[in-house]
Amino acid sequence: MTGTRSASLFALALLAPALIYILIIVAYPLFDTVVLSFTNAALRPTYDFVGWANYQRIFGAGNFTEVILRTFIWTFFSVATKMLIGTLGATLLNAAIPGQTLFRILTMPPWIVPMAIGIFMWGWMYNGQFGMISGLLQNFGIISKPWPILAQGSSAFWATIVTDVWIGVPMVTIYLLAAMQSIPKDLYEAAWTDGAGRFYRFRRITLPLMMPAMLTMSLLSLIATFNSFDIIWILTQGGPSGSTTTMIIDTYKTAMGSRKYGEGAARAVVICIFVSIFCIVYFRAVRKLSQGEAK
Amino acid sequence: MQKTTGLIAVSLLALTASAPASFAQDVKEISFINCGDELTAGYADYFKEWEAENPGFKVMPEVVGWGQCQDKVTTLAAAGTPVALAYVGSRTLKQFALNDLIVPVPMTDEEKAGYYNYVPDTVTFDGTQWGVPVAFSTKALYWNKDVFEAAGLDPETPPKTWEEEIAFAKQIEDNTDFDGFGVVAKTFDNTMHQFLHWVYTNDGLVIDADGNIVLDSPQNLEALTALKDISAYSEEGPTAYEQNEVRAIWLDGTLGMIHASPNAGNLATEAGMNWGVAPLPLGPSAKGPGTLLITDSLAVFKGSGVEEQATSLAKYLTSGERQWAAEMAQGLTPLRPLEPQTAELLAEKPYWAPFLDGIEFGGPEPLLTDYVGLQNVMIEMVQSVVTGAAEPAAALTTAAGELEQYK
Repeated sequence: MTGTRSASLFALALLAPALIYILIIVAYPLFDTVVLSFTNAALRPTYDFVGWANYQRIFGAGNFTEVILRTFIWTFFSVATKMLIGTLGATLLNAAIPGQTLFRILTMPPWIVPMAIGIFMWGWMYNGQFGMISGLLQNFGIISKPWPILAQGSSAFWATIVTDVWIGVPMVTIYLLAAMQSIPKDLYEAAWTDGAGRFYRFRRITLPLMMPAMLTMSLLSLIATFNSFDIIWILTQGGPSGSTTTMIIDTYKTAMGSRKYGEGAARAVVICIFVSIFCIVYFRAVRKLSQGEAK
Repeated sequence: MQKTTGLIAVSLLALTASAPASFAQDVKEISFINCGDELTAGYADYFKEWEAENPGFKVMPEVVGWGQCQDKVTTLAAAGTPVALAYVGSRTLKQFALNDLIVPVPMTDEEKAGYYNYVPDTVTFDGTQWGVPVAFSTKALYWNKDVFEAAGLDPETPPKTWEEEIAFAKQIEDNTDFDGFGVVAKTFDNTMHQFLHWVYTNDGLVIDADGNIVLDSPQNLEALTALKDISAYSEEGPTAYEQNEVRAIWLDGTLGMIHASPNAGNLATEAGMNWGVAPLPLGPSAKGPGTLLITDSLAVFKGSGVEEQATSLAKYLTSGERQWAAEMAQGLTPLRPLEPQTAELLAEKPYWAPFLDGIEFGGPEPLLTDYVGLQNVMIEMVQSVVTGAAEPAAALTTAAGELEQYK
């Protein structure tokens, strides 16, 4: 009994630094944000508690519901495209083809280039007057006038997704490539001996064994994309006419632009709730997957 | 003996080390945030002069880039650790004042009279002044003479009215491969500024002296309608471009006219353009030449403990000739009609005249309690009209209604 207690104390002692760190860095700010969301905190140093007023305001008036829907659409297309391209890329990079190392290196630049520089580069490519995309389309006679891609709501929306995909694909690819390389070779050899074709092997061996890695990557990508700020802010600041305003942009504009810290905190709490739901779904999926493997 | 020598040495060392601390206790620091890439020209010398006149106080400047400057100043103030003196956009003064973060800096009648008319208004709220103007910006019309000629227009005759401006833009669009006029409509603060130039060249207002929102006035309807009309002859997709990006298109030689600040002329000369500059064309209700009058100010923050000295420093830095020297070094519109400096400036650089003429009937950035809220509403209004999503009258009515919450 004493030994068990001593072991527990030892484990607690080992965990203590990490726990304290998490309490200070994560738990306290989170708690403070939740408290702030029930106040009318603004520029003035003092504030009052206003109950659910901030939540009533953001869901009752304005276009917050529209912003939430837009955020989900933006996130869905971005994550789905990243996962698709990442899986295809990892499969290609895993294949025994000449110049494999070179291709692996060439995958990395979007990840290596500082994000802001990459985004500014895309901003210039989207420019109607001086941008490469509009220029090429004009040169090939596809369009007759400059096409400022960020000028119209719909094209700006998709353009921000394209940039997010460009930045996010290398991480997905490398992560999935690592998972792919950890699949035992003898499984493929056995399937090949039994006459299984390439696509069959990919469908019945590669994909199922990569599922945990793909789930993990999907969740990480989902959270990062849901909270993606830099790309939209640098390219469009949420415009034109709010067509690229996602929840994180909306929250920033409220809290740091209009200095409505209480209302901004309420919006941040809503984001936090959504991300928590994603995490719960993810953990349940992982548990289901591991239970399936155990059987 | 050795021990005694050692003790003396340690004591001397301790005394030496404590000397700066004692000095620091005697000298009060005045923290000062200067927005920009470097300290404003001449300020380093002015600090020394002011410190010599005010023993016991030391100015501690910090240069913060434009992108972060306003946020840093505001966040420090909101956190209860304000900087003593800071460079801020005058548009934010009302918000700071209403939140009890800055102290008033009243001007005497003599001080007010020293400025161009309306400049004191840019820092005035509730009957008093809340900042010391430190930078001033006005706009004028630039045109590309080669583009005018190619379009069959007289390259030496700029438009004087909106009607002419729109007609000239159409002629350029119809007769050349160029665009007529540079419309600014990106989700960016200067989209609102550019619209306010139309407002102030037609005797319009956003908020009146009694604090009523008057955005949906007939004058502003004319202004927004004119902006809509000229958008038909602008660069493709104006909602993709902010002021400097439109200027870049004009400097590239593919745009007939833009509304811009004095620096555009220098850049056009560097680019080898054949250009001209004139007062902003006037709307049908105009009483005379106008422009938006944008000022930045030095604001004195509450709670630093050196408010009085910070006020004194602000007035010292922005007084007559010191201010003029800083303005000329930065290419800014002068805040005061100093003589003989103004006459000399116009004689040496006549292109400055349109930027000074427009001050007469110009107007300030509207002072509201939530400047960013105002900005977002105005940008949304301009974008909806420029993209054809809304008609000017409806857009103005919607925007005026939304502004009520920010007045």
